[in-house]
Amino acid sequence: MHGNTPLLSIRDLKKVYKTRDGELEALGSVTFDIYPQEFVSIVGPSGCGKTTLLKIIAGLLPKTSGEIFVDKNQFDPSREVGFVFQKPLLLPWRKVIDNVLLPIEILKLDKRRYIEKARALLELVGLSGFENNYPNELSGGMQQRVSIARALIHDPKLILMDEPFGALDALTRERMNLELLRIWSESQKTILFVTHGIQEAIFLSDRVIILSARPSRMIKALDIELPRPRTMEVRSSAEFGVYSLEVYRCLELT
Amino acid sequence: MNILQVSARLKALARWVKQSVQKNLNSIFVVLGFFLFWEAVVWIFQIPPFILPAPSTALSHLLFPRADANYRWSYHISSTVLAIGLSFIATSTVGILIAIALAWSKRLKEIVLPAFVFINSLPIIAIAPIILLWMGYGVFTNMVIAFLVGFFPVVINTITGLEAVEEDLLDLVRYLNASKLQVFLKIRIPNALPYIFSGLKICSTMSIVGAIVGEFIASDRGLGYIIINAQYSMNTPPIFSSLILISLAGALLFTLVSLLERILMPWTALEAEP
Repeated sequence: MHGNTPLLSIRDLKKVYKTRDGELEALGSVTFDIYPQEFVSIVGPSGCGKTTLLKIIAGLLPKTSGEIFVDKNQFDPSREVGFVFQKPLLLPWRKVIDNVLLPIEILKLDKRRYIEKARALLELVGLSGFENNYPNELSGGMQQRVSIARALIHDPKLILMDEPFGALDALTRERMNLELLRIWSESQKTILFVTHGIQEAIFLSDRVIILSARPSRMIKALDIELPRPRTMEVRSSAEFGVYSLEVYRCLELT
Repeated sequence: MNILQVSARLKALARWVKQSVQKNLNSIFVVLGFFLFWEAVVWIFQIPPFILPAPSTALSHLLFPRADANYRWSYHISSTVLAIGLSFIATSTVGILIAIALAWSKRLKEIVLPAFVFINSLPIIAIAPIILLWMGYGVFTNMVIAFLVGFFPVVINTITGLEAVEEDLLDLVRYLNASKLQVFLKIRIPNALPYIFSGLKICSTMSIVGAIVGEFIASDRGLGYIIINAQYSMNTPPIFSSLILISLAGALLFTLVSLLERILMPWTALEAEP
């Protein structure tokens, strides 16, 4: 279904942790491609290595074996990845706008050239007017919006999201899902989204990758052919239910 | 920043100042009550001044020169204030820099920190004469003594703050290939600020102890010198005058550190929007 070349290819990726009690296989064998401007979710039971996978892609953990590449070139996460963590992880001593600009400082880019962009991103995530507030003046949902803007500031191709809305209440989470789809389509980024919310994954994604419990293997990559833009009507449709059932079946929950 | 935010921030700061004034008002009343009680006890029981002078007697020594105890108060006060101030600034600066160096290099920390524990365990009264022997009279000797008393809490608190960074917060900059220097400047040092300030608050009282002990042993000026000198002639009121002034200096330095903390860390003054 994709004519173009993958943005990122992952081949037979494995991760083994060495612990005191011997070896712990966190990631069995994972292989998939992500195409430009795709929204891909990874679901699986707790401890199946979803977060480990994201951290390996971001270069935060070394892989044990396997390959990650872009067009057969090595992949430089610091330029090409924006990471949204479970917690917002805003620096309390920095104003909102300076939190958004943190990656620019770390990458030693010219900060002045990005101030306008930071403002535009805050507008994109619905936080214009909050540039000069401190993080502890914002609600949890607003803080996570700031962290999304921060992940976009250095214009990475790939956004990795590790259960970013897991700590939010159900209603805020629904709202953030709709917001995320809008941000995704406006920013034209590629998103790899880790969640244990099956409905959330189906609602957001073009493709849902289902991992088994440890040692995790890919059970299935399920293409979600629901119409876009995704609305609450889509979410209540019969097709949506069929996809959910399919995922539940893969995870042996039926 | 729009006008609403500015006014909200100013209101928060004003609220803090008002609260601290109220808190301090209470303390001022407590202190005043203590002095009144003291005054009353001395008058009622007719305690002779060479045992316990009334606070009014002690304070009158500051204002009116006596033939029997003619101290140049302004000279001695300024000398002590200078010793305390310089000691505090030197101790906190050097302490923070040492802590950063130790947090930077784990190896260095493993070697140096036990030595610091050793130095800190030495009773300062016991080593002050040796320092005097080596360095002679002077403000610098005082500063060295004050440093030896006060550096440890600053170093320990700062190291704790530099190391108490959430692992996730480090991941946030690590995936962007942040250098060690960037991690220190952008994450570790600002994160350590609250810890540094609690260290500085301990150091503020320690600096006073150090400066006064220094003046006891190694000086011909300052309130510590007056205390020793007046003791020789059993002239008690100037001793109490000095003690009152020393406590006042302590309270003042502590307040200054708290104020600096509030100014350097404005985000702690803010509460979440309801």
